[in-house]
Amino acid sequence: MNNRILNLEPLPIKLSLLAMAIASLLSPAYADGYGLSQANRAAVKLDKWQCKRCSVSTDTRGTIGAGIAYNDGTDSRFGNTSGTDEDGVVGHLEADLLLKNESGYQTRIEADKLGYDNGRARVSTGTPGHYEIILGYRGIANYDTNSALTPYMIDGDKMNLPDNWQTGATTVQMTELFNSANPVALKTQRDRFNLGAGYIGSFYKAELDYQHEARKGKRTFSGNLLTNSAMLAQPIDDSTDNLGAKIYFNGANWLAGIDATLSHYNNDHDAINWQSAFTPTFGAAYRGQSASSSDNKAYRIAANAQLGGNGHQILMQTGFSRFSQDETFLPATINGPSPSLPQSDLDGQVDMIEMTLKYTGRITRELSVRAAYDYKDRDNKAQVLNMPQVVTDSYYAGTATNPEYDRTRQKASFAAKYRFTRNIYLDTGYRYDHNKYSDLDRETLQESGIYGRLSYRPSQAWAFGFKAEIKDRSGSEYRAVTTTSSNNNPFLRKSYLADREHQEYRLQADYSGSGALSASANLHYSQDDYTDTNVGLTDVTTSGYDISAQYLIDEDLSINAFLNQDWRDSEQAGSSNFGSANWYANSDERSTLVGAGVQYQNLMDSKLSLGLDYNYSDGQSDTEITQGFTSPYGDYFSTKHNINAFADYRFSEKMAIRIDWIFEQYEDADWSNQGLSLDAIPNVLTFGSLSHDYSAHYLGLTLSYQL
Amino acid sequence: MNKSTKSNMVSLYRLIPLTLTMILAACGGDDGAPGNPGEPGGPPANDISTLVVDISDVTTDAGIATVNYRVSNEDDEPVVGVATGTYIAAQLLPQGYTNAGNGSQWQYFTSESCTSTCTGELVDHKNGNYSYTFSAAFDGLNDVSYLPGSTQRMIIKIGGDALPDGTSLPITNQHFDWSDSGEPAYTRNLIAIETCNTCHNDLAFHGPSGFEKYNEVETCVTCHNADRVSNPDNIFPQMIHTKHLTGFPGDLANCQTCHVADETLTENMNWARVPGMEACGSCHTNINFPAGEGHPAQTDNSNCVACHNSDWTASIHNDGGDDEALAQFNANLVSASLTGNTVTFSITLTNPATNTVYLDSADKLDFIDDLRVYGNWGTSFDYAPSAKSIKLQNSSPISGSNGTYTYAISGLTIPAGTESDNGTLAIQGKLCSSQGELGNCEEEQFSTVNIKSSHQFFSAAELTDTGRRVVVTNGTCGSCHGVQELNFHGARNDLEGQCQLCHNPNMTADATASNPSVSTADYKHLIHSLHSAQREGYETLNYPGQIGNCAQCHTSDDNGLLSASLPLYSGVRPLAIDNGTFTSATAAICSDCHFNDTARNHMTQQGAVFMGSEADATAGTESCSTCHGAGAPADILKVHPIN
Repeated sequence: MNNRILNLEPLPIKLSLLAMAIASLLSPAYADGYGLSQANRAAVKLDKWQCKRCSVSTDTRGTIGAGIAYNDGTDSRFGNTSGTDEDGVVGHLEADLLLKNESGYQTRIEADKLGYDNGRARVSTGTPGHYEIILGYRGIANYDTNSALTPYMIDGDKMNLPDNWQTGATTVQMTELFNSANPVALKTQRDRFNLGAGYIGSFYKAELDYQHEARKGKRTFSGNLLTNSAMLAQPIDDSTDNLGAKIYFNGANWLAGIDATLSHYNNDHDAINWQSAFTPTFGAAYRGQSASSSDNKAYRIAANAQLGGNGHQILMQTGFSRFSQDETFLPATINGPSPSLPQSDLDGQVDMIEMTLKYTGRITRELSVRAAYDYKDRDNKAQVLNMPQVVTDSYYAGTATNPEYDRTRQKASFAAKYRFTRNIYLDTGYRYDHNKYSDLDRETLQESGIYGRLSYRPSQAWAFGFKAEIKDRSGSEYRAVTTTSSNNNPFLRKSYLADREHQEYRLQADYSGSGALSASANLHYSQDDYTDTNVGLTDVTTSGYDISAQYLIDEDLSINAFLNQDWRDSEQAGSSNFGSANWYANSDERSTLVGAGVQYQNLMDSKLSLGLDYNYSDGQSDTEITQGFTSPYGDYFSTKHNINAFADYRFSEKMAIRIDWIFEQYEDADWSNQGLSLDAIPNVLTFGSLSHDYSAHYLGLTLSYQL
Repeated sequence: MNKSTKSNMVSLYRLIPLTLTMILAACGGDDGAPGNPGEPGGPPANDISTLVVDISDVTTDAGIATVNYRVSNEDDEPVVGVATGTYIAAQLLPQGYTNAGNGSQWQYFTSESCTSTCTGELVDHKNGNYSYTFSAAFDGLNDVSYLPGSTQRMIIKIGGDALPDGTSLPITNQHFDWSDSGEPAYTRNLIAIETCNTCHNDLAFHGPSGFEKYNEVETCVTCHNADRVSNPDNIFPQMIHTKHLTGFPGDLANCQTCHVADETLTENMNWARVPGMEACGSCHTNINFPAGEGHPAQTDNSNCVACHNSDWTASIHNDGGDDEALAQFNANLVSASLTGNTVTFSITLTNPATNTVYLDSADKLDFIDDLRVYGNWGTSFDYAPSAKSIKLQNSSPISGSNGTYTYAISGLTIPAGTESDNGTLAIQGKLCSSQGELGNCEEEQFSTVNIKSSHQFFSAAELTDTGRRVVVTNGTCGSCHGVQELNFHGARNDLEGQCQLCHNPNMTADATASNPSVSTADYKHLIHSLHSAQREGYETLNYPGQIGNCAQCHTSDDNGLLSASLPLYSGVRPLAIDNGTFTSATAAICSDCHFNDTARNHMTQQGAVFMGSEADATAGTESCSTCHGAGAPADILKVHPIN
């Protein structure tokens, strides 16, 4: 934990004060005498902290490099691992440079896989501990598939079919479908640019951060016209600008500050408008239209204060946020005259008020207590309007009002930690969570529970922990909302509003004995029992364990391995006759993660480093429906083997070559989509099968020069 | 089981007197076959008017099912020796199993019988308990795979023959839904045979006339399914819908005429909740779903509910809020009196839903499309020649305020000397409503709905409860037509007391008709003749019940005596014929159905007058009641198949 170095320089600017403030909220460590106010600064011998082995150099240090790689982009999904979906040869730049002068002014230049979709670069300059200016870029790419097939072509907001398209009442009747279907890549590319500045004064700190993130790509959109639907590769062209400013002041036993953010989302698309591939079901519904995410703005201003002394500490935080959008409404329908809308835009506004109060105090050497209260109110100020409801762009189905979904949440907690001996302590607490909702099936929902954590450290090497928590949730009378177009089954209890009894347990063991070997293991179990649910989610049980170990065979050779397994079983009850439950679904999910790695450095006269990591992951879900007899769903799984190896060889004083090899074998299956042809579903024009099954290699060669 | 031993034993049991049977039963019998002391069945039944089959369970051994059941009579006395029967096995696939959107479906496995021999093995435990073991496992029979855990149906049909001692056994069907893993997890209970029988009396099919074997809807569906019948039109839902398409006596669009709301039937609301091209298409015959004719193309049922959600389907097929709208209106006569030939009455229009009075008169209430009052005089002699009426929506009241207004109908015919008789005022009308709300008739979205007609008697001085006798009721008519759902001449639906104001004995029969009595529009003859398909224009009417079951339409008096019984009410007038002749009243009515020379000769011989003078026809020479009157040897209530 970095709390202890708060007043010691240099301060890593990346760790913002806010983060520290938040970290301190989460950490109970203060109560034990390790808090700021407990620090006996007079006794600190700062000169002893000096790094004797660090020589301050004033020249330029670091490496620069350039790489070339072969990437198998046959299935673009591999790009999530390799960082690029290019098929063939790709190049990139690497850099990690530090330029310093004697006054302490320094500039750092970093580049990692710059040139790839997932590359990044960063330039920071300043005097550590005084000020810093950062300019950064980061590319974040997410690859879904490059084998989706679609006959649609994009023209701005419009998605059109080829001129010779033959509409059909069903997909099989679309005679031009297979001739005109072309592959389209579903991926998103985010380019994030940062400009930030921070200044640290004697008793205050200030930060300003601007970020522009542009997003491009395509994602799946379901274009529905009544009962017919087409999967469309909806273009994404939007951006988000965030401006953040913080100023914090600190004194002997206090810290206070203001934190403001401003956000603006801008979408280049107002709507997605598509030509229907189907013959119109009614009237002249030849095109469909649906609004895209609307441009919107948000700001938040918050004040934080923290003060303490004598083993007591109080933290206060209050914030106000406003979210607004006034995007012009689209017409209710483009097929025939649109019913008139009550307003030209929503003039939507949501205000949020937050307040947090926390107290921690040490009563005796052994006992410390904590109390917290948290208030959050979401108030939707948009006017409730009678909106004409046009069902899937085809027929007018009366009016509907926009629900407000207001929510007021209050949380309170009390906890006490008692240290029996140096090695054993018990932390117990009570938590209460109260919610008031509008427009939901329940007006109030409250949950309360107790927890306890017993920690036992028999020796320096061993640590054990056991945690148990039970919670009980209930609320006001459950009254199914009547705003749905069809009535809800009166026996249905939505899982997030239903009465629930929750219990969870966790057993943890850590070993960090000899210095060479460290290991940890934990076992966890939880259960949610929805006690008053006849129809709906009735029971969820999770269990799992994690084991990991690291062993340093000698200074140069280390190995590590880990194994995680988790299970989640969900029970659901349904009714086919609008009555009490008569069918049951059971979903068993399982995930396994296994990995092992070896790192060998300083080989061949300290010129060669080698590394090899192997990961295997497997996730699957088995669902069965039981109504008298049991019908299982089909396959739903993904498995991945991944090998990541490198060899870094310094063949001269300044020059090194690095070889990276990534191999990945991946396979997934989803019964609802597997092997699907474009016209497999009469009323859904699909992308075809979207499952993956590939073995792909990435082989990279990077030449680096050490300055 | 040795069959000859069994039949011997059965004979013995049935032939020895009851008391001896009791002794023998207690001792275990003396025929060498051990009794069953652990399961005393009580004394066997002597009289059997009703057979009760109580299926206790179905067990399986290596997939071969044995059904265990008890047979008793109406007094719960065991019936021993039932050696014949039919055993049908079927399986139910749950809703959505065959494809998304499809309803649950029955699958026929097999039908086995015991006649002189048994396909499987029948064991008579001699105490009313029986066990029947099928000859083979169900799995694979009729190319249907047995699904462990699924809902199974067992049908037992017995009766239609007699016990060896000659005691006849009524035909009885009993079904039992079971599952090899306990209580059936799902069912398909849509409709009750009692609903069918409100109109059809005792429905039964397959077998010689009078000995039809299958009389429960639960039985029908085990065979009328896709796995049994080769013609899809004979799958039960489609078949039943199709058969009712023509000549249906009620509103065909009202699914709930047959699919009556009944909470005890778990899938009762399937008609609205599980739409499918098979069931829907069997009434909406102009649609070819896969070809997209008459409806956008649909290759299967998976999308039906996307548009046709249950609320929508329900509102389209029932009254669409008519009941709610009608519940907001009631027309109450508060006074009436006769002066000369003018009846003066006061009426109050109320909203029972809010318990308030409409303060305006009918001509000022914009939701009233039509509100009429008809009057006629002479309830004891079935009315004077013609009724007179007033349209309240077009008339200003003579007087009144605050919701009670007075009107007058003049020109009534009051035959001399009948001034102390009573008259009848009948109210009918149409309101404008939309989705359960009353609204202005001028506005397009409101359509008209008929109110329930009503009638009220009055004397010269005041309203009275005394008036014309009740022969049929709106309830009895409603057993087929829906209560007050059958409208004539616009909005006349009070079949019990309104129609008779005009359809009265002053109407004449056609002298040239082969049977004049079915040609008059006098109510009694009109109703008899059209239901028996004798009336012009109604020749194709296929009466759904037994036409001789007078109780289908006729009501009973406080003593339980059916209104059809003889002698006739003394005020019934002879049949007037357009050549000036008359036929005596009883003969005229009986000859509505019994019209041939033999019947006519018989009636004439017993004093009936056909096409004679009015004096002869009313001279009281008919002696029908001597033999056919209530309690007489040939009481018409006994000789007709009344139930």
